[in-house]
Amino acid sequence: MNASFEERSVWIQLVSMLLVLGGYFYVAWQMMSQGVTALPAYAAVFTVSVILMVLVLVAGHVAVAIATRPHDSDERDRLIGWRAESNSGWLLATGVLAGITGMVLSLPNVWIAHLLLLSLFLSEVLKLVLQLVYYRRGM
Amino acid sequence: MKPTKVSNQIRTLRFHHGEMTQQQLAARVGVTRQTVNAIEAGKYSPSLEVAFLIARVFDKPLEEVFQFGTAAE
Repeated sequence: MNASFEERSVWIQLVSMLLVLGGYFYVAWQMMSQGVTALPAYAAVFTVSVILMVLVLVAGHVAVAIATRPHDSDERDRLIGWRAESNSGWLLATGVLAGITGMVLSLPNVWIAHLLLLSLFLSEVLKLVLQLVYYRRGM
Repeated sequence: MKPTKVSNQIRTLRFHHGEMTQQQLAARVGVTRQTVNAIEAGKYSPSLEVAFLIARVFDKPLEEVFQFGTAAE
């Protein structure tokens, strides 16, 4: 794979996010389906997920650093990051607006919290996917 | 795919400068080898600063290294 350290780092972030946070949303969906509405019950699962994700990220980056010599990001890496971020922010904004709408409609807090969290997650996934597209396809 | 309108002679110039590798050029310019590769392949248009630095490495004027629009037209 002819990829820089930065591109490999994006792959690690994407895979860890999809696996760990994707797992969290699956568990949260099951809990919501069973009628669990207390947010602290979700907070515990979420905390475990975040710790797990940090561990996966660290392990992934250490493995890549051993295989590929790490380097500072250059102008292309930064431009790709900025462009991907500017093209994925709309997802988070949409989620925030949907969350506000949910508050107006008096939806349960657990739904609003997860709507906001899901939009943050999807926006981050879209950003990482766009970064990989720009690395491979060019811009 | 060649999304940029900027073409270049970097590959030829590297060859005529002692078969300089992309890694060697990248180290002298201060970017990654993958970025030099992307510039050569026309997948990325470098900043003016990097373009001038590349031209300086080959001791050529900028327009002998980079051309605008010639490849796409």
